[in-house]
Amino acid sequence: MADTKAVTERTRKFMTNRLLSRKQFVIDVLHPGRPNVSKAKLKEKLGKMYEVKDPNSIFVFKFRTHFGGKKSTGFELIYDSVENAKKYEPKYRLIRNRLDTKVEKSRKQMKERKNMTKNIRGVKKTKAGDAAKGGKKK
Amino acid sequence: MRLFSSDFHRFDKLVAVVLFVVVDKTMEISNSSADSDGVNKEAPQLVALLKEMKEGLDAVRSKVQALTVKVKENHFPTVDGISYLEAKHLLLLSYCQSIVYYLLRKAKGFSIEGHPVVRSLVEMRFFLEKIRPIDKKLQYQIQKLTRVAGPAVEKVGSGGKETDTTEKTEDLLKYRPNPDLLVSKSSLVSEHGDGVYRPPKFAPTIMKEDKISKQERMALRKEKETLRQASQSAYVRELMDDLEGRPEEVREIVGTESRELTRYKAKREEQSRREEELFTRAPVTKMEKKKEKYLKKSRNGLLGLADGFYDEIKSLPLEDDGGEHTAGFSNAGREGRKFNKRKSHGFLVFLLDWADEKPGTQEQKREDRSDLHLLDSEEGD
Repeated sequence: MADTKAVTERTRKFMTNRLLSRKQFVIDVLHPGRPNVSKAKLKEKLGKMYEVKDPNSIFVFKFRTHFGGKKSTGFELIYDSVENAKKYEPKYRLIRNRLDTKVEKSRKQMKERKNMTKNIRGVKKTKAGDAAKGGKKK
Repeated sequence: MRLFSSDFHRFDKLVAVVLFVVVDKTMEISNSSADSDGVNKEAPQLVALLKEMKEGLDAVRSKVQALTVKVKENHFPTVDGISYLEAKHLLLLSYCQSIVYYLLRKAKGFSIEGHPVVRSLVEMRFFLEKIRPIDKKLQYQIQKLTRVAGPAVEKVGSGGKETDTTEKTEDLLKYRPNPDLLVSKSSLVSEHGDGVYRPPKFAPTIMKEDKISKQERMALRKEKETLRQASQSAYVRELMDDLEGRPEEVREIVGTESRELTRYKAKREEQSRREEELFTRAPVTKMEKKKEKYLKKSRNGLLGLADGFYDEIKSLPLEDDGGEHTAGFSNAGREGRKFNKRKSHGFLVFLLDWADEKPGTQEQKREDRSDLHLLDSEEGD
């Protein structure tokens, strides 16, 4: 699709959060005539605007389109460094930014393991014990 | 009602007469005690009773004499009216008078039938009964006062007569400012010993905190109203946008917006403002999603057309099945139920849909057929 109309962003409620070593603000994105703008694009634009060295330390989330389209609002955080981001951000956002990987846990196996440990009392509920049980079960 | 010294005189005389009669009778009875056993048994009791009565009357007599002296000296001016307690005293006094007279007559052997004293006795008894509840209500306060007055009075009137004390208590009861009493109060206070002033507690009192007068309350409410109305005006909203640094919005209104829609928008805006404040988002419920989906359906700019429709027709006596007035999502009692799609502009939607359909559809055919039917019937006739 051609860029017939420009996408404008404005930031509001800017705050430098020294405690969490980040800058946080609200973004208003105006995109008349087209659907929502992707987060990656927004990150790139804002990186340029705020001269951020590492685009991985920008997190954009909670975007919602206003009634009737054309405008959406969301939140954004720009961390001082990626280490800070890894320290303070919740896991799901890190996974979205590809700074962390999702561990695929089989729910069924987890539940089985838990139900096994219900039969035993006390210190015996160690990992070794569980593994043994798991092996035994097989 | 004025306190006359003649009243006291009368009472004095009555008391004297009764005393004389009583003493006489006791002498007689004690003399003729040898008559019979029955009389002997009753006589000592009677004698004892009469002796008691005599003593009581003696005491009263002395008090009354003292009071009479006081009244003669004009110590109790009652030009400005009389207080409750004084009235009570007088009432009791007259009651005693009547009782004594009654006894006299009985003792002398006169009949009491139809005598006015009986009537007056009954009257006074009635009055006393009537004022008993008032008495009960005041009892606590009077007790407190007498307790406070007691030690103070003792200190001051230690050298005085009995009448002095009665006067002092009466003064205390009347709450008249008395410099003598002031002195007594300070002495009372020093009696406590810890050097802290503790006011005497008579009745429970509340501390008046900042009481907002009616005018102030009305003014506050008016202020709130004007603020609310101002926030709804476009000019003020522009100002606010300017202050907050929001970009100027040019909204294109396609057709009129229904009331529902404007309300929904206002609510959402308010919520988004709060969310921005807290940097979080509230989760969107299913109902809200449904509502949004429903409102986003475009109706070719005819949203607000049927807004006031039911307001106008509800007064008319049409053959409505009264339950179809459900307009939109804002139904209080329909929390968990399935959303009722029949609304005030349901028929409008139907019309639009009908208008949008191509010719040759079911409905069109039906319409044609109905026309034909009419023609047939006409021809038949």
